[in-house]
This record gives sequence, C-alpha cells and structure tokens, in this order.
Amino acid sequence: MARKKNPGSKLSRREFLALVGTGTSVMAGAGFLTAKFSRRPVEQLIPYVVPPEDYIPGVAAYYNTVCNLCPAGCGITVRIREGRAKKIEGNPAHPVSQGGTCALGQSGLQVLYNPDRLQTPVTRRGERGTGDFHTVGWNSALTTVASHLDKLRLANRGAGVGLLTGDIRGHLDDLLIQFLGLMGSGRYLQYAFTNPTNLYSANAASFDTAQLPYYDIANSDFLLSFGADFLGMWVSPVSYSRAYGDFRQGRREGEDKGPRRQRGQLVQIEPRMSLTGANADIWVPAVPGTEGALALGIAHIIAGGAGRFAAALAEFDPPRVAEISGVEASTIERLARSFGDAKAPLAIGGGGAAAGTNGVPNLVAINLLNHLAGNIGREGGVVFNPKPAFGRTGMQRHGSYLDLLAFVEEIADVDDGVLIIAGTNPLYDFPGDERLVRALQRIPLVVGLSSFMDETMQYADIVLPVNSYLEGWGDDAPEPGVGMRVASISQPVVAPLYDTMDVGDVFIRLAQRMDRDMQRAMPWPDFHAYLRNAWRRMYDKRRDKLDYVDFDAFWTAVLEAGVWGETRRASQRNEFHAQVDYEPPVHAGNDVDYPWYFQPFVSQGFFDGRGANLPWQQELPDPMTSIVYGSWIELNPRTANELGVDEGDILEVSSPAGSLRAPVWITQGIRPDTVAMPIGQGHTSFGRYATGRGANPLSILSAQVDSRTGAFAWGATRVNLTPTGERIRFVKTGGWSRTLDRQILGPRSGETQEGGDHG
Amino acid sequence: MSVSVREALGAFKPAAIAVGIALAAYIAGWVAYEVFFPGTAPVQPIEFSHVIHAGDYQIDCQYCHIYAARSTTAGVPAVEKCMGCHKVIATDKPEIQKLTDYWNSRQAIPWIKVHDLADFVYFPHKRHVQAEVACQTCHGEVQTMARIERVAPLSMKWCVGCHEEREVENGRDCWTCHK
Ligand code: SF4
Repeated sequence: MARKKNPGSKLSRREFLALVGTGTSVMAGAGFLTAKFSRRPVEQLIPYVVPPEDYIPGVAAYYNTVCNLCPAGCGITVRIREGRAKKIEGNPAHPVSQGGTCALGQSGLQVLYNPDRLQTPVTRRGERGTGDFHTVGWNSALTTVASHLDKLRLANRGAGVGLLTGDIRGHLDDLLIQFLGLMGSGRYLQYAFTNPTNLYSANAASFDTAQLPYYDIANSDFLLSFGADFLGMWVSPVSYSRAYGDFRQGRREGEDKGPRRQRGQLVQIEPRMSLTGANADIWVPAVPGTEGALALGIAHIIAGGAGRFAAALAEFDPPRVAEISGVEASTIERLARSFGDAKAPLAIGGGGAAAGTNGVPNLVAINLLNHLAGNIGREGGVVFNPKPAFGRTGMQRHGSYLDLLAFVEEIADVDDGVLIIAGTNPLYDFPGDERLVRALQRIPLVVGLSSFMDETMQYADIVLPVNSYLEGWGDDAPEPGVGMRVASISQPVVAPLYDTMDVGDVFIRLAQRMDRDMQRAMPWPDFHAYLRNAWRRMYDKRRDKLDYVDFDAFWTAVLEAGVWGETRRASQRNEFHAQVDYEPPVHAGNDVDYPWYFQPFVSQGFFDGRGANLPWQQELPDPMTSIVYGSWIELNPRTANELGVDEGDILEVSSPAGSLRAPVWITQGIRPDTVAMPIGQGHTSFGRYATGRGANPLSILSAQVDSRTGAFAWGATRVNLTPTGERIRFVKTGGWSRTLDRQILGPRSGETQEGGDHG
Repeated sequence: MSVSVREALGAFKPAAIAVGIALAAYIAGWVAYEVFFPGTAPVQPIEFSHVIHAGDYQIDCQYCHIYAARSTTAGVPAVEKCMGCHKVIATDKPEIQKLTDYWNSRQAIPWIKVHDLADFVYFPHKRHVQAEVACQTCHGEVQTMARIERVAPLSMKWCVGCHEEREVENGRDCWTCHK
C-alpha cells in the first residue's frame, strides 16, 4: 500500500508490525503474569528441627488445672494444641465446677495472651504514681530486693517487712508465712473488697465455725435469698448455678432421673434486681440495709412468740418491719408462711445485705431463719464443710478495710519498711485511698508482683512480672467447697510466654540471694519442688488409706484428674450461738442533700474490676441491661421522670466523697429511692482495654465500714443526681424490655413478680 | 433502509483483528506459564529423592511421616530424624552435606509445599490412613519420584468422587470437610 499524504490516519507497514508485535508480547506477558499471580502462593513446609516430645502436632491435649480468677476455685480443663492454650472449659470431675465455668473463667485465655502483660521486671524511674518505669533484668531486680531484705533481717529489723495479697490459698500461703517468719515479721494480710469478711464473721458468731458453709440449694425447695446474687458472681457462682438447676427441676442434686419433687421456689430480696432477682418467683425490693429487720420479721412470725428468741423477736411484728424495710406487711406474712411450710427452706444472705454498716447483724438474722427451720447441717440446708485438706480458711487469712489501712500505715511508720504487694489492687477498689496513697508514699520500698501494671503497681518501686495462672504451679482447697474435702493441684498448661515467674519462685529466689540461714531454711530449687514436697507429706500421712503404689503415682493421678478428695459430706448438729438484734444501717450523706441510696454491684463480667482488661468481658452484654463496654446508672422510671431524664442522658452522681458521670439506664427493677451502678469499669491504669473506659462507682464511696468487722461497707453511701444535659447512645444488644401487652410469651400463669411488669 | 452486517463489521475489522490477536496472545501467555511452570514439582532446597528412600530401601512412609496415623497432619520429618541416619550414611554426598549444614545451624529445611489444600478444607490424614487408603492414592507413586510431584488435582470433585466410590459414611456431607 502506498503511503498517503495524511500520516495521521494510516500507519506504515513497519509501524503496524511493530505495534502488533508489541501488543502481542504485552498481552502474552499479561497472560503469563496473570496465570502466575492467580495461583495460590507457594507455601513452605517447615519441619521441626527437633520434634516435640510431649505432643503430637495437630492433636489436642487436655490438661486439668484450677481457675483462679475468683475465689470460687473451679476446676478447669484447658485444650492445648502445639503447646498453645486454645480453650477453657470446666472440669467435669471437679465437684465445684462440675464441667462449668462462668464467663470470666472462659476469658482466662485473654489473661494469658493479654498484650498488656508485664513481660520483664521494671523499676521506677519517675515519681511514684506516674507510671514511669524502665526494664531491668531479673537478676538485678531480685538482687536489689534481696539485699534490702537481707540488710533488714541481719539488723533484726525484718519486722517492718509486710506482705499484702488478694486471696492466696493452699501451700503458697504456707510458703509466704514461712518466708515472713524467717524475716521475723508477722505482717501478712490478704485484702480484696469482695472477700466475704462479714459472711465469715456472721457464721463464726452463729455456728462457731471459721469456714464458709455450703448452702445446699440443690436439695432445698424454698430459697429465700437476701441480696445474694448467686447466679451472678456471689461466692461460688458456677457451683450454685448448677445447684439452682437441680433446685428448679426438682431433682436431687446431680441426678438426671429419679423421682421429682416439687420445683423449688426462689424469693430474692434486694433493692436492685440482679440476675438472680430476675430469675426469682418473687422479687422483693426492700430498703437497702434493712434485710436483717425483714429476716427478723419473718422469724417473728415463724417462731410465733415461743422459743429461745421470743424476747429478741418480740418487737419485730409485721407492721413495724414493714415500716423499716418498706415491704408490705402482707408480703412479709406470705414469705413467712411459705418459708415455714416448706420441707427444706433455706435462707442465704450476701451482696447488698452484707455490704452495709450492719452486714454482720443482717447475716446473723438470716442465719437465725435457717436455725428456726431446723436446716443447719441438713440436706437442703446449711451444710458445713469439713476441715480443709490444707491451708488456712479465709477467716484466718483475710483482713478488713480497717485492717488494711492500719497495716499499710504501720509499715509506713517503721523506719525502712518494705511492702510487697501481690495479686490485689486496693488503689482501684479502696475508697478514701488518699490515706492509703499517703501511707504508700512514706514506705521506702514497695515491691509489686503482678501480671499487669494496674493502679496499685503504679506506686511500686519494683514490679516483678509473675506467671499467669495457666503458666504456673499451685494448689487449692476451694472455699466454700461443696461440703466435701476437696483439693486440686494447679499445673502449668503451657510454658510461660514471657520472662515471668511463679509468686512462690520469686520468694524462693529471694531467699537464695540472702544469707546462709535463709538459704538453708528455704532449700527448694523452685516452687514446684516445694509443692511436691508438701503433697508428699500429705501423702505420707494418708498412705494407708490411699490406693497408690507410691507418691509419684498419687501425684500423677491428682494432676491428671485435676482434683482429689472425698465425696462424703459431714453432718452437723443444728446449733445457733449468736445473739440476734437489728442494727439500723448507717448511710454516708444526709437524705436531703443526697436523696438516693447508692448501690454499686459486682458485675458479672468484671467481678471486682479484675476482668475489665479482657476484651471478651468488655464485649459481654450485661445480663440485665445488655449494655457492652460502658458504665451506666440504673434508675427507676419514677426517678427518671422526677429528674426529667431519659435513657442515655448523662448524670453527675455526687456523694459526700466525690462525684462521677454516668449515663442513665431506666429499669423497673430498682426501688425509686435507690440507684445502682456496676463495679468494674473506670480503671485509670489497667492496660489498653480497661483504661479510661466508663466510671468507677467505688471511687465516690465514703469510707464506711461494717460496725463489727471493719469490712468495707460498699452499700452504705447516698448520692445526689444532677442532669448534665449531655447524652450518649448505649452500645447494647437488647431492644425494648417491655412487651406492651403484645402477649409475646402468652398469657401469664402461676407466679407474678412484684414491683412492676419488668420482662 | 438496510444496513449490511458485513459492511458494518468491515468498519471494525482492524479492531476485531487486533482484539483477536491480543486475546490469543493472552491465552498463549497463560498456557505457556502453566506448561513451563506447572508448579507441581518445585525444586526443593535439598534434592531429596523418594526413589532412594521409599523405592530402593522400601522405608515405610510412616517411619518418617510419623503423625499420619494419629493426627490431621502427616508430619514432615524433623531435621533430627534425617540426621538419625545421615550422621553416618552418605555423608560425602553434597545434598547430605547441605542437610548437615541445616542441622549444625539448627535450621529447619524450608521445603516447598507440593500438596496444598485450601485453608477451608479440613483434611485429617489419620482418617484416611486408618481407612487403609494407600498414600499413593493421593500422593501418586511416590516411590518412583526423584523429586516429589503432585499428580492428583486435589479438587473437591476429585475428593468427593473417591468418597462416593468408597461409599464413605457422610462422605458427601459439606460439614465433613468444611468445618
Ligand atoms: S466462678 Fe470464679 S473460679 Fe469459677 S470459673 Fe468463674 S472466675 Fe473461675
């Protein structure tokens, strides 16, 4: 073809071929590359250099150990693959958990894998409380502490060394006592505000026992619970939830078949409806702190003016009790009749009923009901636990609010005091903490043992990172147990992820760095060896009764089963030693400036606040409100009307001790004169998931204490509410909580709930 | 008024030819990749020969792939396993010296995966071994392969075909393989 004048419209042959050539090769290249990149990327197959000895890749192993996220001591089974913990379930063979765990127990993996775990020892660089730390090696950290302790000990000034822990049981407790004893110090205190100090004290007064009894809910048929949220987080929630199932189905404990008896009836007496209250047949909102009067009123009717307590009960006739407690006289009579007529009635007390300034008298009054019903030491009643297989009971270990304050201030007063803090966080849950902080500031050396840099650790000089409970050794005789003598060994289910140590190991290592006497007195290579020794002694004592070839066989069997114990329940006579009397509750704040009772409650997800750094717990909808992530304050609709606020409106909540801000949640499950807030949020230092989220109701409580025990009375403060004009939208899973007569559940039958049409 | 299709097409003829050529080139490129780089027998970091081990010496598969009967994964032998024999056997061969280097520096050998299933497929070796399916059914005549090569398509159709043929219980159930 001849070339034309217009070059723009036609290509020359050469140009055409060049274009076709380039185009073809570009397209072929594109095809080639598309084929290459659309193929699944080449993967490698990386073998072990040395094969693992103790597992088969791809095959799960299950190890039994003990959950220590709350004092219940449930046995758990952890699924492990390739040396990594994957899932926690209850150990079916463990009598406390019987295969169950609570939500917090499930989240134990997030304690283990928490990105905010302390991974190396740190020492303070800045001012106390500023969180300015830098990392050091174990060697230098331990040597610093050990040389300090050694100096004090050799100068006979070891008595100024104190140890503050949360709830440490089993043989670790023994080891710590021994260490302090060698230092010449008896200063050892366990404090957590949820420790049931008043319950111990009331039971000691009533039944002369230093242990918590087991409340045999399963075999009872009428349960009168004064504020004990046993389906939530009270004392041993997994065990009691299980028992509640049997109770409701009218089965004998643990039996699937066999004759049914009547379905048990549950009455919950509490000013704010808890999860247990929502499950009750009758919910009775009494004035906070007056539960004791109500119990005595019921006792008055049951006793009918006769018996040992006639005189003490005389003045508690229904009209008077109605006036005190705000519960109608007819209701009191009805409750007394049901309680008196039941075959196996049972009364329990906890939560708000035990958290006033009159916690002990309230609980004693509740115990009296059990005595009058003749159910002490009986099936379906108050079953006493046999002496634990080892260790001290909580009554012997725990200190009260006042004890803690005195404890820390005393150490501050001695020259060269040392305070070692492990596993408790009083600067989060201790109101009036300025006094505590002031005392802490005066102590020359504060050593913390912890997995997280929580509020209290901010005030330590040296923080030593300890193993999570899934990485370390330990043992436990659960309290309250289930009326049987039970013990478990807590074993590491995975190797420690970081450079951490067992609490027991820290003390053994410290002793090894001190002078010869210390070294000789604590000769074990590690805590595991100490523990084995202790169990060997137990084995030797019972050798004849135990059916094992030798100690090793016994030890292995306990490790495998996750629990060891007897299945016989002790019986006990129906004794009751206490004097009963009603003591009116004292609330901080007058009722003019602070018109509302303030009832913080232990939340299901976070317990006393320790669960707030676990994302699963943050995401867990609260069972009563379905709210996730935040804090809220619960108001009766009437209160909300009075204040002119609606759901999500932010209130300023002020008490004589301080103020906070929280959004409104309106519910009919609360008295109009009471407002309530969940405990657990509002951390100022507890890792990325907890810090700065929500508000901490404990922070505005007045330093009220129980009149008998000095235990922290966290239900004895009044507040005022002021709308701020701001509002938020709750993050929640639930919708509208009322049926609006749509008959969604069909017509109601049987029992009705008092105090509103909630649900 | 009528429009001649041919005429209309004619206007686009150069374009149509161009597209046709481009498409052909694209496909040719793709096919070339698949033919010249099938990826079914990649070059491995060590020229390990199944012919010698499984063929000549007739070492049982599970002597090295020790987890096959017990776990989902068959298990590539640990370097220590190889060294168990090769500390003394054939130590003069260059490939064995490579192995020894890996061992001395405590390095894993980065084998290239030949039989790769998508992550959403649950394939337990143990079920198949226990059902006495010969390794060769899926892995081909391994004992004749000097370099390991994938011969089976490992497609779902292929898996289910075998399940059907052998009348595997729940062998067609989605959940059996996609859990
Ligand atoms: S009740 Fe306590 S011990 Fe039991 S699983 Fe829950 S957190 Fe763990």
